[in-house]
Amino acid sequence: MTDIDPRLDLTLDRVIRAPREVVWRAWTDPAQLAQWWVPAPTVARVEQLDVRPGGAFVTSMSDDGAAFVPHTDAVFLVVDDGARIVFSNAIDSSWHPASPEPVAMTAEIVFDEHPDGTDYRVVVRHADPATRDRHEQLGFFEGWGSVTAALAALAESRAG
Amino acid sequence: MLDDVFVALADPTRRAVIRRLGEGPASVSELARPFAITLPSFLKHVRMLESSGLVRTAKSGRVRMCTLDRERLAVVDGWLAEQRSVWEERTHRLAVFVADSPKIPDSAEIPESQEQS
Repeated sequence: MTDIDPRLDLTLDRVIRAPREVVWRAWTDPAQLAQWWVPAPTVARVEQLDVRPGGAFVTSMSDDGAAFVPHTDAVFLVVDDGARIVFSNAIDSSWHPASPEPVAMTAEIVFDEHPDGTDYRVVVRHADPATRDRHEQLGFFEGWGSVTAALAALAESRAG
Repeated sequence: MLDDVFVALADPTRRAVIRRLGEGPASVSELARPFAITLPSFLKHVRMLESSGLVRTAKSGRVRMCTLDRERLAVVDGWLAEQRSVWEERTHRLAVFVADSPKIPDSAEIPESQEQS
């Protein structure tokens, strides 16, 4: 829709081998969304999923399945039925301006037809977190241990 | 450009080199010492790190010195890379979820009693 700033924004494009309606349902049905929104063994609970412009998108998560803490608190900006979802956590589900951790963002999810299923595209536009960039404080080695190891594992699975 | 960095990091030898260079610059022979591979194959790793931009090399006399480009590493180690991995993994889970569920129950079909409290 608008420009991408490579310093702040990320884009993903993936062909998902399932019909567009199935992928759309997985996103917009609370029970289904809860199945994949957070990585196991963490459990997600979808508190509110009002998929229409201005509607609430609230999830919580739990490591033990008992005590839940807030996770996503966002609002839908654009909903094109079956085709596109845009939501942001810069405004919370009660329409209050928010300063979410780790960074405020607007996510645009596009569901397009593809011969093999669904052309699934994600654009996430971020606020500039420079003033509270934890990376500098954590230092090189801690950053290496936590983030890059995970990325390296991801890269290995891709390359492998 | 991110892909080159990913590929460079996808190998344990190259990751070990990056980790060692995190402590400071080192010569190629110094870097090669811990590895039980021939110098030519080690040099291939160094060249790959160099072309990804993660490592810079410069010859001084008969010694080739390697330096880590921390800014380049930050491309995959900063907050944006963290967000990218969150979304990559999330998209992967969605793809697996829709592909592996021949019959996905809707919320409406799940009895109240089975919902987690």
